[in-house]
Amino acid sequence: MTRRQIVLPALVLLAAVIVLLVWNNLGNNLVYYLTPSEALEQRGGPEAGGRFRLGGQVEEGGIEETEDGVRFAVGDGAASITVVHTGAPPQLFREGIGVVVEGAWEGGRFHSDVLLIDHDEQYRAPDGEGAYEVPAGPAVPAVEG
Amino acid sequence: MKTKIDILQRLFFLITAAAVVWGLYLAARAPGEATQGDAAKLLFVHVPAAITAYLALGVGLLAALWYLIRRSPAADRMSSSAIEVGVIFTVVTLVSGMIWGRAVWGLWWDWNDARLMSTAIMFFYYMGYLALRRSIIDPEARAGRCAVLAVIGFIQIPIVHYSVLWFRTLHQGPTILRPDGFRSTMDEEFALSLAVGIMAFVAAMTLMLTSRLTLSRLQDARNDLSGLGPPVGRGVTAPFMGGPTMGGPTMGGPNG
Repeated sequence: MTRRQIVLPALVLLAAVIVLLVWNNLGNNLVYYLTPSEALEQRGGPEAGGRFRLGGQVEEGGIEETEDGVRFAVGDGAASITVVHTGAPPQLFREGIGVVVEGAWEGGRFHSDVLLIDHDEQYRAPDGEGAYEVPAGPAVPAVEG
Repeated sequence: MKTKIDILQRLFFLITAAAVVWGLYLAARAPGEATQGDAAKLLFVHVPAAITAYLALGVGLLAALWYLIRRSPAADRMSSSAIEVGVIFTVVTLVSGMIWGRAVWGLWWDWNDARLMSTAIMFFYYMGYLALRRSIIDPEARAGRCAVLAVIGFIQIPIVHYSVLWFRTLHQGPTILRPDGFRSTMDEEFALSLAVGIMAFVAAMTLMLTSRLTLSRLQDARNDLSGLGPPVGRGVTAPFMGGPTMGGPTMGGPNG
């Protein structure tokens, strides 16, 4: 048996194992997040109670600050879910922006501890709709003297 | 003595420098984006870097095919140099993307995102290509095997590019190479800066590629002078062929 006869099948086997591992991992993650409609549909499913990511738009008129985070509604136009988030929201967090939250159901609410901003590939000048405003930071006292 | 290549190199250098300065000026003058603010200015680095990486790896593919048909050492030099440059621009894409992701999404990296993962796999694959080049001594065997690797590897570029359309990702969709054309994604303010950014990156890539080609050609020419391939090759393939060898002159050997 030459070296080639051993090495070649070994390489093919190794490649097959890698492809299998990657494919399995992909299978679980091809969908980065569930929309609110999908999340409500799957609620009673076999994986109920587990952690997952939920993505959608922060609905207008409902960001409430809580003791250790924020409470708001995430919607996709068809369904809406109340999210109770623990932790400081990112700088860009506001009404109408796309978000992905990670957590699990707790009663009728989604309790999350990871809050990501999900923007699209639209690049608009600030004088358009939804104008960007520089977030108000702490006032810097003027240096005297 | 100045060769044609030297003059071309200088020209590319001037074009690159001018495009970089112009691009930086436009990027600094561009307004903050409506949703993302100033973080969106990374668009002018990240997207050109990605396109340039695709382009360099595409040159690597074409030259590899050319090698497989013609068995020309020049094609091998072109393919390997282009892939080396492509890997560098892949790194620029990854790093600028991570910074942008941290600023806007709120995280540096996520293995669950199809775009991020496929780009990382592409990066490691081509790092493997570069490692393979270093591990084969015989120039013809190296060129042949590496060309096959370069051809197979290119399948990843459409996967990386279309991952954001095929899968639901955190990463946004394509900015330029998209089904409905690039005009739909941005206002004029950003389009010009991005166009100049792409010009600067492509010019820089051309400059790096021609420099690397010159270096490869010099390396090959030096190796040819010895007539025996690279010194390491001689040492490994024929260590004891009789006569004085490593360890000083020996007496009384079979040929002594």
